[in-house]
Amino acid sequence: MNWGRKFATLGLFFWAFLTLFPLYWVVITAFKSPPAVNGGPTYIPWVDFQPTLQAWRDIASGLRGNFVGTVTHSTLIGVTASLLATLFGSMAAYALVRFPFKVKLGSGLIFFAIAMGGYQLLLNYYGMSRSNSMLTAFSAALVVAVIVNNFRLPGPILGNEDIVFWFVSQRMFPPVVVAFALFLMYSELGKSGFKMIDTFWGMVFVYVAFSLPIVVWLMRDFFAALPVEVEEAALVDNVPSWRIFTDIVLPMSKPGLAATFMITLAFVWNEFLFALFLTNSKWQTLPILVAGQNSQRGDEWWAVSAAVMFAIIPMIVMAAILGRLMRSGLTLGAIK
Amino acid sequence: MIVLAMAIFPLIYSLSISFMHYRLIPPMPPRFNGLDNYAKLLSQPRFWSVIYTTSVIVVISVTIQYVIGFAVATALHAKIKGSSVFRVILLMPMLIAPVAVALIARMILNPVIGPLDQFLTMFGFPDLPFLADKNWAMGSIIAVEVWQWTPFVILLMLAGLQTLPKDVYEAATLENASRWRQFWDITFPMLLPISVAIVFIRIIESFKIMDTVFVMTGGGPGIATETLTLFAYQEGFKKFNLGYTAALSFLFLIFIIVIGVIFLAIVKPYVEKRS
Repeated sequence: MNWGRKFATLGLFFWAFLTLFPLYWVVITAFKSPPAVNGGPTYIPWVDFQPTLQAWRDIASGLRGNFVGTVTHSTLIGVTASLLATLFGSMAAYALVRFPFKVKLGSGLIFFAIAMGGYQLLLNYYGMSRSNSMLTAFSAALVVAVIVNNFRLPGPILGNEDIVFWFVSQRMFPPVVVAFALFLMYSELGKSGFKMIDTFWGMVFVYVAFSLPIVVWLMRDFFAALPVEVEEAALVDNVPSWRIFTDIVLPMSKPGLAATFMITLAFVWNEFLFALFLTNSKWQTLPILVAGQNSQRGDEWWAVSAAVMFAIIPMIVMAAILGRLMRSGLTLGAIK
Repeated sequence: MIVLAMAIFPLIYSLSISFMHYRLIPPMPPRFNGLDNYAKLLSQPRFWSVIYTTSVIVVISVTIQYVIGFAVATALHAKIKGSSVFRVILLMPMLIAPVAVALIARMILNPVIGPLDQFLTMFGFPDLPFLADKNWAMGSIIAVEVWQWTPFVILLMLAGLQTLPKDVYEAATLENASRWRQFWDITFPMLLPISVAIVFIRIIESFKIMDTVFVMTGGGPGIATETLTLFAYQEGFKKFNLGYTAALSFLFLIFIIVIGVIFLAIVKPYVEKRS
């Protein structure tokens, strides 16, 4: 073993220690009794403090807020949103890989103009409610844009690459821009009968919309790496293209789907901003509850630690699984 | 298509609000006031302070993340025993909710119960004001950002390292080029495009920082660590000043785009020169 290698190992150990120590600290703090926490730092269970289950009992008895309910919500929202996002996203990604699209810039602009102008017009001059004018303007814009796209238009034609770029660039937007508008839109929808704020579907909807760019980006690389020959053979046999997708393409890209699903789930599980804006009590998610722990009843670190562990453990399990997948060259495609 | 539309609509909606005077409390009918919101924001010192704070956090933390991340990725790539275990461990922070990370940080930095204070006291630095003093608080937030997001750089740089062709290194070893020279003459230039992409993603993502600051300092002491997103949240949800907030978020968007373009413009000649 040469010196460089020793140095590298040492550095790795150092960084791994820095990574692990805070996590270790949470775990032991969650098993400390209140006096043991407040008496100053202690490090090793059974040696300098006696572990107790006090914090966990508090959580189970509902003293720290509705944990059982919140974990259930987070799980339900997370799994549903990730499943839907993976499904829709991979359909879109597959379409973008295999079929050439031509969207004319002109029709895109027309879409924009009608959606925006129509909305303002209906709202301000025809006195329609916000949500109604929104829906009307939007569907009108969509129909017109699709029709217009078939005509010859001046201006450049956008291909698949441009569409993908557009998708991915969504990630660049600061979420506040959208979170705030979404809050207003949801409250308007609430007034006209569809309750969206603080509901299951309201949250799932937001998260699906916001995970899609990542899903499309990741899945596109997986699909592009699949051999086209199998699909071509199926096409010759006159298999309809949606059957090719469900029966051939999806089974072949199982590892990619799994990884994408998990990355999406991690994103949704940890998401804070949208949950903060769009939920209040009924469908609160875990990050909000955890963040609220330190202000509600003062700094009760033993309970905070237990709460934090709730949020962390599923993600650690996923880190282990992802690490496995990574070894099989998962991320290679994603950055090329 | 519907989802696509779903993503555009809030944008259009908040753009239209940003030109209006619109408050929920006290409730007033929205009225058009042109660029007033923008003008008011740009003349407010708090806005510039928030921009400054956010930029400092982003620039310093992304730089450190990149350096450490690259170093760790190179070390991992050197086929060290147990590197698969290291890989899992090193990935973990990235997947933990930023809220949880911030709470852990508050525990560690706590002057009474935290281990770090005890550790530093041993070296003669008792009671450092980690979250109470302006500069220390910034430092703490940056440290937490680095802790959490270096794994992202490691992950992608490692993937990048694995794509490098082996024969170039073999040739270099034959010519007795030192490891150090190999790194600077082969590895670094070849990974430059990926590096640019990674740093770019990190810059964009870091500008959105909110949860960490929200939990760690709440923007304090004073407004010393307040970031853009947090500022928007305060204006919108504490004061319900909607038009103003919408204008703020669009300035934010413009700012990010400008930063992104500047970054790419600075970096572009280097990337092109190499390839």
